[in-house]
Amino acid sequence: MTIYSLILATLTFGAMFSVLTLSLNLQYARGGMINFGTVAYFAAGAYAYAIFTQEPPSGLDQYLFGFDMPWYVGFLAAGVASLLFALLTGWPTLRLRGEYLALTTFAFAEVFHSVLLNERRIGNGSVGLSNVERPDPTTLGIDDTLGYAFAAMALMLVTAFVFNRLLKSPFGRAIDAVHDDEMAAQAVGKDDARIRLQVFIISAIPIGFAGALYAMITTLVAPSMFTAQVTFFVWIALVLAGEKTIIGAILGAMALVLFQEVVKGFPFETVRAAQLASSGEEIVTGILFILVLRLRPWEKLAKRGSA
Amino acid sequence: MTVFFQLMLTGLVTGSFLILATIGFSLTRRVEGFLNIAHPELLGVSAFTTWGLNVMLGWHIIPSAVVGIVFTAFVGLIIGRVVYDPIRTLGPAILLITSVGVHYVLGGSVDALVGTGIRSLDIPLAESYRFWGLRITNYQMLVVAFAALATISLALFLNKTPMGLAIRAMSANPELAASRGIDVKSTSRITWLISSGLAGLAGVMLAVVATLSTDIAFNQILQILAVAILAGLGSLYAVVAAGLIIGVAMDVSVFWIPAGYRPLVAFSVVILVLMFRPEGLAGKKSR
Repeated sequence: MTIYSLILATLTFGAMFSVLTLSLNLQYARGGMINFGTVAYFAAGAYAYAIFTQEPPSGLDQYLFGFDMPWYVGFLAAGVASLLFALLTGWPTLRLRGEYLALTTFAFAEVFHSVLLNERRIGNGSVGLSNVERPDPTTLGIDDTLGYAFAAMALMLVTAFVFNRLLKSPFGRAIDAVHDDEMAAQAVGKDDARIRLQVFIISAIPIGFAGALYAMITTLVAPSMFTAQVTFFVWIALVLAGEKTIIGAILGAMALVLFQEVVKGFPFETVRAAQLASSGEEIVTGILFILVLRLRPWEKLAKRGSA
Repeated sequence: MTVFFQLMLTGLVTGSFLILATIGFSLTRRVEGFLNIAHPELLGVSAFTTWGLNVMLGWHIIPSAVVGIVFTAFVGLIIGRVVYDPIRTLGPAILLITSVGVHYVLGGSVDALVGTGIRSLDIPLAESYRFWGLRITNYQMLVVAFAALATISLALFLNKTPMGLAIRAMSANPELAASRGIDVKSTSRITWLISSGLAGLAGVMLAVVATLSTDIAFNQILQILAVAILAGLGSLYAVVAAGLIIGVAMDVSVFWIPAGYRPLVAFSVVILVLMFRPEGLAGKKSR
């Protein structure tokens, strides 16, 4: 594995996961909502994209729907699917707080995963949908992997830009008000339940787009790609680089993906060695995560910077 | 109809296992005040310690299991002291997120030491017994017996001994308990030992009735969370009821819908409970 392909892979997947951390950042750091089911919105986007773009079922296919639409229709469908799923899960659960919200979103994600796994009519069950259609960057004269790295970064930048504008708008101040002091916000006529639901839904849309992009890059969607480990990964990325800022959310995802890619790219002699490395990576990630949560280095740095 | 009752019986065994796996989790939640996502990993620690001693070193199953459980209890205690105690003031949300990190560390360690593959303990094959046409194996009866024993001894401990009363006082109101002269540190230590030891016992039971793979611990978290939420912040008895309800509901559902949906049944219960009765079966408001 060359340095070039390592950087390219980090940028592609790092930017893609940054979209998820940015959305979580909006939900958690600004909205105060712990979403432990992030992967479900991601999966909803990926499956929606695959279903809208694939050909109608034939032969051994067990799925029922394939609309054979162009990629941009699938991409929009991914955002809409994620939005609808957020509406469906957010509306009944957002009155729950803290750990209860974390558990319900976690539960919804597990139920969704279980349905994708068992209901073969959606996406061939555990086999998943392979050969997902995707636009070909080489028609524009760009290398394939490079093209998707650009696409991922573009999605990340647009998401960061939109969220940044949103948080600076009056709506953003209303979000902060609800987060800081619910009673006071209610007293000046801000409907906190409504604002929380809006934040939840708005931040789900880019997660769906990222899911579509993931399906394009891997050309495969299968339930095994969308487990709770994805949610945990995104949370760790968010916390690693400080959860309060947009740049932190991006850097955390990039750093964690780089770390993974380096471990993955290392040429191991045996299967056992590769396995040891991946478990070692898990242990190191876990320890780093615990340390960052405990020592809060970014907050201290920020305080020192402002003082 | 026999099939239905057979599923019901298997459900009771599943429920008993879930009770064992959840009482420790629930105790941590009441006393330490947070959801410990890493708790199921302790089942894995215990199951694989027992497996290592029993299969790799050739020990008899009983000493292997005892060492496995005691080892797990101390692993839990050390994690509680080193990781959770210093950040307790930061609130339950941070503790919950931190436990995801602990889950990674424990899961990664077990993976590194054990490796992938399917394993089983070196014990005699299960013997099947028949009662009125219903089958149950001796190991399944062992699970039920241990669940009953653990629940009864924990209930006696919490209700009759000074240490048990201290634990209950701490779970009800930590500040008041501390101001009345209860040693919060040692009470918290005992809680970690007991809850992790119970996870250890559940892990050994898992190793006895099922084949082991390294992801087995994480797969339990879904059911454990389901039982804990259905039980709410209430008493031990609520955990027993919730464990049996979820166990029976999951296994009996196989009568009507494909077996792949078992976890989905557990989680539908969770979602319904959280939406309509977030305080759980016991009916106490969360703090």
